[in-house]
Amino acid sequence: MTAPLNADPTQQATIAGYQSRPVTKPPNWHGLVTLDLLVNNLSSGLFMVAVLAELVAPAVFRPLASVAYPLALAWLLVDLVCLVLDLGDPARFHHMLRVWKPSSPMSLGTWCLTAYAAPLTLVAGLSLVPVEWGLEGARRVIAVVGLVPALAAAAYKGVLFSTTAQRGWGDARWFGGYLVNSALVLGAAELLLIGLARGRPQAVELLRVASLLLLPLNLVALGLLLADIRAALTEARGARTFVRVAVLAAAGGILLPLGLVALGGTVALVTAMLLLLLGALVVRDEIVRLPHRLHHRPHAAP
Amino acid sequence: MTSSERALAHLPPGTDPPRSLPLLLDRVAEPFRRGAAPEPQPSTGFYTDTTVCIGCKACEVACKQWNLLPADGFDWTGNSYDNTGGLSATSWRHVKFIEQLPGGVLGELLDPGRWLMMSDVCKHCVTAPCQQACPTGAIVYNEFGNVYIQPDVCNGCAYCIAACPFGVITRSTIDGHAHKCTLCFDRQRDGLVPACAKACPTASIQFGPVDELRERARQRVADLHERGVTDAYLYGDRPGDTYSALNSFYLLVDRPSVYGLPETPVNPWLRMKGDYLRAAVSGLVSLAALLAALALAGGPG
Repeated sequence: MTAPLNADPTQQATIAGYQSRPVTKPPNWHGLVTLDLLVNNLSSGLFMVAVLAELVAPAVFRPLASVAYPLALAWLLVDLVCLVLDLGDPARFHHMLRVWKPSSPMSLGTWCLTAYAAPLTLVAGLSLVPVEWGLEGARRVIAVVGLVPALAAAAYKGVLFSTTAQRGWGDARWFGGYLVNSALVLGAAELLLIGLARGRPQAVELLRVASLLLLPLNLVALGLLLADIRAALTEARGARTFVRVAVLAAAGGILLPLGLVALGGTVALVTAMLLLLLGALVVRDEIVRLPHRLHHRPHAAP
Repeated sequence: MTSSERALAHLPPGTDPPRSLPLLLDRVAEPFRRGAAPEPQPSTGFYTDTTVCIGCKACEVACKQWNLLPADGFDWTGNSYDNTGGLSATSWRHVKFIEQLPGGVLGELLDPGRWLMMSDVCKHCVTAPCQQACPTGAIVYNEFGNVYIQPDVCNGCAYCIAACPFGVITRSTIDGHAHKCTLCFDRQRDGLVPACAKACPTASIQFGPVDELRERARQRVADLHERGVTDAYLYGDRPGDTYSALNSFYLLVDRPSVYGLPETPVNPWLRMKGDYLRAAVSGLVSLAALLAALALAGGPG
């Protein structure tokens, strides 16, 4: 960190000083936050895709609802546990609800998650009730009401990261855009897997077509995001690793799954979904770690 | 003094405060209670004249003493006389040492070089990103216009740490909450000068109403220019295009980055609306694509 004294007689300031040091401090957000970013999108994405699919083709997708909504609720619970455990004082998690502060993406996100949790819990419960009870109409209305907070819950974390002073995060202007698109891609993949598991070929086919349209959009969103963070990621990881990460995320996490989805068949679809999940995890992990890597890299001599 | 503080002041020493609710419920309900807002006072702050700082660290010690902050241990940082390294949850003042010494015998003869010293602290930004970020309302502007973290409200989410462009706030490993300079809020309420300013032997750290401090600082810059120190300037005394003014501002004689300050601080909130818009556009396009695909491929089932 410190250059040797009088290393170069033509230069002054032979003590490293503060010039080459990062000014900002990255917060202690690590693995739990990466997991939170993923399960948040797994939950909100599955919910949104399930609601829209039921709206368009209720007869095809109703049989999947009793798995899809409880699964989305389970992901949300995991997400909330991650969020609480990541606090410096988890016993004070409810302090998040003492103010309504739209200027803070974290406050807005907390309220969006709360607003999303209520309809999701109701819909998950009602999806387990027999159709004969006549609550289907109410369930669908509640589900549609939940779409707006679900969309906001999927998007806010990207804005939360980009609205910081941290290098890398602050550059990631399209992170929110990427996350909300990725949530829908992951949601379609989850529902497709549920359709496969429950033996619903029509639902699988519809979701396969939807994925063929969503995945190219995911590639665009990823491209915009990578363009945003290219300089920071190259500085943190080197140009070669940046290319490797970009290729892994784009080719392994989007293009290969796209080919497999186009191919069809159970094995190809399951493989595609697993690759999608892996690609999504890699992107989130790289971004969460970015300011930490920049902060801890060896400082350049003045 | 707030009404609850007045009520507590009448209790015999060692007595627990009375509870209207059972302990657990009281703990849940407490952060939602609101007291009366105090009467606003003229904004106060620090003016730090780095040209007269002698690096004695009396400010660091006074701050630790008054605020009962534990020591950070002792490290040989290899960076001049700096052995605390930076601001932290337990160091709210940090004296920086910048050695600008020429190399070689000839260099020393031609130019003796100089040492720059600066006592760093929270900048108490007029529009503070940490305050904008705080989701619990723990970070507030107090009646003196200072940025203050309410220690009983903060839950350690660390978003303020991510938001601060000066790297000031730190989360404590002891209690898990965010901490930084309070500008000696307790002393100010009793009409006292903050401990660091009181202890500073050279008046490098000056405390007072911000308007007066700015006036004084501008006069000092003019004096220095007259005396040939033409590189003297004020950092943070007025708002820039991307950042507000600072209620704790500095007189510097070299570029801000030399002192470990951002050359052009940017408030991340300037980007927020655009980023929400990007997220909304991406979400709506993706939802439309999903709906179109489902409708075209299957139609209403």
